[in-house]
Amino acid sequence: MKRFLFAFATLFLPFFAAAQDFEFGQYQLDELTMKSYPKDTAAHAVVLREIGDARIQLDAVDNLRLFFTYHVKIKILDEKGYKKGNIELPFYTGDNNTMEEISDIKGITYYTDENGNSQQAVLEKKNIFTEKNDKHWSSIKFAMPSLRKGCVIEYSYHEISPYYYYSFHTWEFQDDIPKVYSEFTAHIPAYYTYKATLRGPLKLTKNLGEVENDCISIRGVKNPCSKLTYAIADVPAFVEEDYMTAAKNYLSAVYFDLENFVNPYTGVKNRVTKEWADIDKELKDNQEFGSQMKKKELFKEKIKEITAGKDDLTKAKAVYAFVQKWFKWNKYVGIYSEDIKDAVAAHTGSVGDINFSLASALNEAGIPSEVVLLSTRSHGTINMLYPVINDFNYVIVKANIGEKSYFLDATDPYLGFGMLPLQCINDKGRVYSLNKPSYWVDLTNIPQRESDSYTFDLTLEPSGKFKGTMTHYSTSYSAYKKRLAIKKFNSVDEYVENLDEKMPEIKILKSQIDNLDSLDLALGEKYEIEMNGFENTSRDSYNFNPYVVEHRIVNPFKLAERDYPVDWGMPSATNCNVIVHLPEGFSAEAPAKTWALALPNNGGRFITNFEGSGNQFTFSYLTQFTKSVYSPAEYPSLKEFYNRIISAERERLILKKKAE
Amino acid sequence: MRSTFLLALLSAFLIKANAQQTYEASAIPKELLPYASAVIRDYDTHVEVKDLDNVTTHVRQAITVLNKNGEDAAHLALFYNKSAKIGSIKGIVYDEFGKVIDKFNESKFQDQSVVNDDLTLFFDLRVKHYIPAIMQFPYTVVYEYDLRSKQSLILHDWVPVEENATALEKSSYTITCKPDFNIRYKEMNLQNSANVTTNDKGAKSYTWQINNLKARRNEPYSPVWETYVPHLKIAPEKFSYEGFSGSFTNWKELGKWQYDKLLTNRQALPESTIAHIKSMTDNVSDPKEKARLIYEYMQGRTHYISVQIGIGGYQPFLASDVDKLNYSDCKGLVNYTQALLKVAGVDSYFCVVKSGDEKVSLLPDFASMNQGDHVILCLPFKNDTTWLECTNQKIPFGYLGYFTDDRLVLACTPDGGKLMHTPKYTYDKSTQTRIGEFNIAADGTVAGSITTAYKGRQYENRQAIIEESNVERKKLIPKHYGINNLVVKSLDYSQDKLLQPVTTEKLSFEAKDFAIITNNKLQFSLNQVNRSSVPREVRNRVNSLYINDGFTDEDELVYTVPSGYKLKRLPLIINIEKPFGRYSASAMMINGKLIYKRKLQIIDGTYDKALYDDFIDFYTQVSEKDRLEAELVKDVN
Repeated sequence: MKRFLFAFATLFLPFFAAAQDFEFGQYQLDELTMKSYPKDTAAHAVVLREIGDARIQLDAVDNLRLFFTYHVKIKILDEKGYKKGNIELPFYTGDNNTMEEISDIKGITYYTDENGNSQQAVLEKKNIFTEKNDKHWSSIKFAMPSLRKGCVIEYSYHEISPYYYYSFHTWEFQDDIPKVYSEFTAHIPAYYTYKATLRGPLKLTKNLGEVENDCISIRGVKNPCSKLTYAIADVPAFVEEDYMTAAKNYLSAVYFDLENFVNPYTGVKNRVTKEWADIDKELKDNQEFGSQMKKKELFKEKIKEITAGKDDLTKAKAVYAFVQKWFKWNKYVGIYSEDIKDAVAAHTGSVGDINFSLASALNEAGIPSEVVLLSTRSHGTINMLYPVINDFNYVIVKANIGEKSYFLDATDPYLGFGMLPLQCINDKGRVYSLNKPSYWVDLTNIPQRESDSYTFDLTLEPSGKFKGTMTHYSTSYSAYKKRLAIKKFNSVDEYVENLDEKMPEIKILKSQIDNLDSLDLALGEKYEIEMNGFENTSRDSYNFNPYVVEHRIVNPFKLAERDYPVDWGMPSATNCNVIVHLPEGFSAEAPAKTWALALPNNGGRFITNFEGSGNQFTFSYLTQFTKSVYSPAEYPSLKEFYNRIISAERERLILKKKAE
Repeated sequence: MRSTFLLALLSAFLIKANAQQTYEASAIPKELLPYASAVIRDYDTHVEVKDLDNVTTHVRQAITVLNKNGEDAAHLALFYNKSAKIGSIKGIVYDEFGKVIDKFNESKFQDQSVVNDDLTLFFDLRVKHYIPAIMQFPYTVVYEYDLRSKQSLILHDWVPVEENATALEKSSYTITCKPDFNIRYKEMNLQNSANVTTNDKGAKSYTWQINNLKARRNEPYSPVWETYVPHLKIAPEKFSYEGFSGSFTNWKELGKWQYDKLLTNRQALPESTIAHIKSMTDNVSDPKEKARLIYEYMQGRTHYISVQIGIGGYQPFLASDVDKLNYSDCKGLVNYTQALLKVAGVDSYFCVVKSGDEKVSLLPDFASMNQGDHVILCLPFKNDTTWLECTNQKIPFGYLGYFTDDRLVLACTPDGGKLMHTPKYTYDKSTQTRIGEFNIAADGTVAGSITTAYKGRQYENRQAIIEESNVERKKLIPKHYGINNLVVKSLDYSQDKLLQPVTTEKLSFEAKDFAIITNNKLQFSLNQVNRSSVPREVRNRVNSLYINDGFTDEDELVYTVPSGYKLKRLPLIINIEKPFGRYSASAMMINGKLIYKRKLQIIDGTYDKALYDDFIDFYTQVSEKDRLEAELVKDVN
């Protein structure tokens, strides 16, 4: 079985090796004649060879910069592979002093023409475009010329970047197409010490190192570099599966994080990311972090006004609701804030702006609050081996009230107190405050779940129609989702009208929605309904489907086996009670059996229950998943569990008229 | 002298009064509130044609956002490029009671490139956009901005309310033209026609107004929006565009201009390609066969990538460039194909079309440049007009598919433009015909095979799967059948690219727990391969019932059950006929086999809105019958 876990391995300093780039503009005949890739016959394209080389060097005006060279040769096997011939290279344009630059773009397509002759087409400069995407980002775009089935494309470029300090160039060995060979070389001057980490399940097939003497010269002083070479041969294509978190967690790649740095001009050694204590100090001194956290009295008298005379929990809730309503989140994610005062004045800001403001307001109200750095689900998991600040991309608040603590995110006005958006429920968070050392907290077992409870109380009329009530309580994250659904309409009436229109079998006669704006309470929906049942009640027996909600027909899990965990983010439970009053003379036959299915290790259950007496019966069923994440080893039982639920839900109750 | 002064004073006074307007939310007429999440209070556009290469537009709009859902209506996005510049922009935000809470200008706008997709290499259009950051509803935002355009070919159309769920209090549109500049216009669903005035210098002004429009709801099966949304289209007689100039008053002239100015002299090809085309077609006598060979050659060596810069938005790449690069956009690929066909002596027309699943025709009685968004090629063989889509490497010769079928397009010919109608795939020829055999074992497991043929508008139904690898296809196909636990044994596709193309899917499979067997009773769902769902009901419907896609689905499934079982109930027989469709289904035992047949026909067209309830009722019955369970009991005798 494949290893799926977040594989982190520290790469130890390797020994020695030689340069591996290949000559540009050359091709082999067998590369052109190859018709498919035997190791992956599903591939639309395959990387034949890919070489990256990154080094820290002085540029023309003596600035230390990261020089990166990329060179690749790709075989295009079919039309779906053509997209590998459309290349987009984004680069950061930050400000004019520290812009990334991409240059020396070269490209050649090798192909066989109609007459069977080998030909080459060269990428022309006029067909290379630069597009400004927004204030901070631009991209170079080009399409390889003369693509056709079976062609081979080759291209290379140089990139010069001022952004390498904390994390040297990352190299992803894996992509959505397979690779025959992928190799990366890092030349790191002795001034820098980076820690290299290999992520993903694949093993390096080459891991070598040597010392390059005199590789960099600063003010006449020559210094050596470490030259590190990493390569993997036969890299399989990465295939995404449903219900998984960031692909990045599982992609094989090598990451570099700065450990320490000796200033070549002053000789002063800067330890960079050795310990959390260092990071704590750095953050505290950071203009866009610690300095923002220190800001007070953002909302002037307003916090006092809304918290006066309240107990701590009520105070915290009032502050949270106030900040939620104050800000309109601008959809920017990040752990920093340029200036929370500006954000408060503008009523809009990033995750950092909003949640730093929340922490400040809570502290002002006497609720001791910290911030929690985390990585969202799409951003990936955290490296636990040593601190890497770039692993985090989101910040929330931890409010401490007595023995309890609550995680808060004020970017979304519909989240209840203590609830987090699904994106934030990922791995671990690092709790940070101005006056204490930071520490880890688990974000995967916060008390949040999807919970729905339905009750149907129906009377079968002689006409064959059912009349009665339908009640639905949504709790926790389900209530949040329901509120979002209702708020999509201009009024509750419009929501109900739409709901009614979507269910042609059911007519809603009256409705009542409770706690729509009380975000911490269960959301209640009560409907008086009339439901199509049978054409009449004159027959002796009828089949009745008691699975009136969430009737599952097809298993969501179709793969024979999975490589990655099923990650739903939180537990869930749905229960449904169906009470039916039948006309005089009718009764319901008890089902052949009731069900009590369970997943191993209390992972979940499915239970049905039937109680009948006279012309009345109650059928209830419960589906529960107690875990947020199910490992690939648990996958077969999860899939089978669904299958058995589906079989169970195909059964019908028989409603019978008593023989006269 | 004096009167001018007075006028200046008066207009200054007017602007001031206007600026003082505060837009209290409570002043919105009550009848405009239902289904509205935003209300356009005021929306005035003034276009001034100062010269052929100098057209300015001044817009002032006030929008009250009633709740969070209405935020999109307050989102202002202004597009620009080298020849269409944005002048000043300013704005004010008022709270519910009309108190100013924010003022802003262009510096608050975000600047972005417009398209970012895999298939676009470069597009010179950019956008500046803004949305107020307000969490307290309702609020009102007032925008005022100027646009300056260096062309007069495409004039600012007027659509007072573009989005659903938005009501309108009042809007006006004025276009003022320098004396020798004439316009043509088409009013659609407007309340009043133009009020025309001429000033003392001979400049004509046309003004339209519209008031009190209720918010539109999203109604499923609505006609294309052009047929019911109020709007105005404007076209110039004389114009200038990116250094080109011309004039037109009808499609013939517009097509002629495009042919002469944008299309001619762009079809030179390298000698080697000419030689190749000749050697390929010289021994073929039938021109249609020549065309087919050339089309397939073109498909084999090109692919679609979009590059739009300046006049390149309307003018194709040189055929010689496409020959070298192997990629281009629709114009470039059509022009290239046309050039290749010309080598073999086959005539063809470059045709402008409005593309998309929804069938939108160019307006037969109103010619203007901004109605199409795609081009295709027409081969005017005698009594056998043939159409080619040139941006798709897989599509059969002569097949257009749902992207451009059944609509009016503009053919740009040497004799001028002419409107032509693309082929229609009628509902009875757009078929999905399926035959299935299911062998149910004593433990409820099924083994079976299903063969399905797709034709007409349904020919491309499985295209996305077909283009995947075999491994991927097997993963995807279970999502298209409702059979639980479907394990694919084999899956094959063939595509017959003849003039009536057919896609055939052959699937053999197994599935456990297909039938439930308990106490001598065998139960399974009769139709797990093609189930209809019911569209949303609409109370107080406004729009006609419009069915864009007509089709015919036929399924015949033969179930072999373990011996000794008999149907418990009467066989299913149902037959429903309505003006918009027919449904029939039956199930009966014949020689120990249960044979299920289903036929659903939906007839495309526009129907009275009163039929919509019938339509829902029809689908409710279809959906219910599609979910019928077969119950068989063992004959214990």
